Order: sequence, then C-alpha cells, then structure tokens
Amino acid sequence: MASAVDAAGDPIPTSAVLTAAAKHIQFRCQEENVAFLKCKKKDPNPEKCLDQGRQVTRCVLSLLKDLHQRCTKEMDDYVGCMYYNTNEFELCRKEQEEFEKKCPLE
Amino acid sequence: MTEAAIRNKPGMASVKDMPIVQDGPPPGGFPPARYARRIPNKGPSAVAIFLAAFGTFSWGMYQVGKGNKIRRALKEEKYAARRAILPVLQAEEDERFVKEWKKYLDYEAEVMKDVPNWKVGESVYNSGRWMPPATGELRPEVW
Repeated sequence: MASAVDAAGDPIPTSAVLTAAAKHIQFRCQEENVAFLKCKKKDPNPEKCLDQGRQVTRCVLSLLKDLHQRCTKEMDDYVGCMYYNTNEFELCRKEQEEFEKKCPLE
Repeated sequence: MTEAAIRNKPGMASVKDMPIVQDGPPPGGFPPARYARRIPNKGPSAVAIFLAAFGTFSWGMYQVGKGNKIRRALKEEKYAARRAILPVLQAEEDERFVKEWKKYLDYEAEVMKDVPNWKVGESVYNSGRWMPPATGELRPEVW
C-alpha cells in the first residue's frame, strides 16, 4: 500500500487514517461536527450546509496533519496496522497504546 | 488304542473297564451364585444434583453476560469511531455533489431553454423537503 501521506507530507484521509485518528477527531473537532450535523438535520440539502462542511473538513485535515507531524512513526504504524486489519480496533491494541501515549487525547 | 493308553487303569481287563472321563461339577457341588439385586443407595441426593446443575448453569450465564459486556464495549468503540468521521465524509461528498449538480442544472437549462414555463432545477415533489435526485444511478461515472 502507498504511504499514508501524499506528496506534500499531508496525511491522505483514507479509511485507515480516519479510523486511526477517530478518537482524536471526536475530541478535538466535536463542535464543528455537531454544528454540521445540526445543519443537516434542519435541512438535508447539501447546498445549505457547505460552510459547516468546509469547517469540518478544515478541522479534520489540520488535525490529521498535526498528529502526523507530532508522532510520525507511531501514527504510521497504527495506520498500517489498521489498513492490514481493515479497521478492527481489537487487533491493533498495541499500536493504539503507543500512538495514544505519544499523542494523548486531551 | 490311544484312549486305552491315556485312560489306563492298572488292572484293567478290557477296554470296557476304562474309567469314564466326564466334565461335571466338583465334589460337593458348586458354591451358591448370588443373583439378587444390591444397588447401593449412596451418592448425591436429588437436591444436591439440582443445586449443582443450577449452579453450573448460573455460573455459565454469568460468564456469558460478562462476555456480552465486553463485546458491546467493542461495538460501541467501532460505532463511536464511525460517528466521529461521518461529518468529514459527508462534507466531502456534499462538495462533490454540489459541483456535479450545478453542471447538471446548466445542462438542463440548455436542453429546456425553448420550453415555456420551465423552472430549471425545480423539485418534482410537493413536500417542500429536499430529496436526493432519483436518477437511478448515484455516481454515473463510477458505475
């Protein structure tokens, strides 16, 4: 599999990368997520929620980049394990612990 | 000839005086054989057996409950991860959809430009809610 980063060094938001960072996203991007979901609940029209959507994307992509810069090796290991085990948390506990030790969820 | 040699009794006058060799009971008869039932009445009582079965069953169900708790926690972890990444994925798809929809509306405007009283992009439903386009194909360029 290709590496988890593209040419500029930003992590590509594949399913393995997103599930690996899911707990961090849940903590750090919670307001943006909730605002987007509220907007969607009010009106499911995609054209009406583009702003909140852009904020969500910006938050998540910057969070991924920040995580990757702070703990490169642990995140790469965890993402590789997730990719190998198709996003099963139970099979990657060791890598998950190392990742969360290096980059703790605040 | 050999029978006489085996069953020889010294002082035998003829073959007719040979001693008789027969399979029979020992002298005094056989000892008496017991044929009466003697099933012992010891061992666990009914109450003890019932309590043992009930105890094993309840211990087993307790283990099942513990295992279910662990499995539920694992499932909750998976669902929480999916809930966390849902907005990103939906936002990306919304961007892509809006771009494609604008192209489609332009195409529709061009095709129907000579039709009087045609509102481009008008919803075909009367409920007022936004419904996704029901073209039968979600992503034509993929399928």
